[in-house]
Amino acid sequence: MASTYFRYSSPASFYPAARRLAPWFGVAAAVLAVAGLAVGLVVAPTDAQQGDAYRIIFIHVPAAWMSMFIYLVMAFWSVLALGYNTRLSAMMAQALAPTGALMTFIALWTGAFWGRPTWGTYWAWDARMTSELVLLFLYFGFIALANAFEDPRRGDRAAALLALIGLVNLPIIYFSVHWWNTLHQGSTVKLTGTSMHVAMLTGMLLMAFAFWMYSIGAALTRVRSIILERERRARWARSL
Amino acid sequence: MNHGFYLWMSYGATAIAMAVELAILLARRARAKRMIEEERDLEAQD
Repeated sequence: MASTYFRYSSPASFYPAARRLAPWFGVAAAVLAVAGLAVGLVVAPTDAQQGDAYRIIFIHVPAAWMSMFIYLVMAFWSVLALGYNTRLSAMMAQALAPTGALMTFIALWTGAFWGRPTWGTYWAWDARMTSELVLLFLYFGFIALANAFEDPRRGDRAAALLALIGLVNLPIIYFSVHWWNTLHQGSTVKLTGTSMHVAMLTGMLLMAFAFWMYSIGAALTRVRSIILERERRARWARSL
Repeated sequence: MNHGFYLWMSYGATAIAMAVELAILLARRARAKRMIEEERDLEAQD
């Protein structure tokens, strides 16, 4: 097990594995998205209070979940990059950041278009929305720092440090609806259960898995480019 | 109440944003491949 991990911690070994895996994640994302959209837009009933506007849930909630989860995974790779100085860990963190920023943007954007018909406003400086916006700025900061140095290893360390500092924002996002009196509603889906209609829950979970698969596929595709850019002078890369 | 505008703006923007990310991924991949070819050319000249 350990030897397998160490084998794939080398960019030269991970590159072909990522090439084989990425298309499968893309196919899984497409299949799950088609199923999720069919359930969410066709099968799930109209909400009694919010009408059809609630159907934004099928992209808003999965994007919001992924925005936080990707940051967590990015911070995990950053810890490995700082602690063990492994090249691939820093590359993985940097491959995840743009997709994390995209998910955060989608969560904020769709949240605004859900908020207007239900709350009467596109935006409020509410704790949940503001902390999610801070998350977007953290992703932008991470990407900017990683590319701000001529020596990429210095950029890796600086960005990894920012990723770790920014971790404090994740519990703030998650618990904001409990800690403060917010305009944003509390969690509808909990580990203990949900009050949602089964078709609504099925559609949302299918879309969440679709976004998850998409994020893995996108990150694997991006990390391949990063590996090539950084290892282009290595013999194995030139022989591709 | 018709919520079509809000749904289209949400789903449409998500589709466009993902399409842009995929286009950027492909462009970066092509650039990385060009960099490898340049390295190969430099090696051949040496």
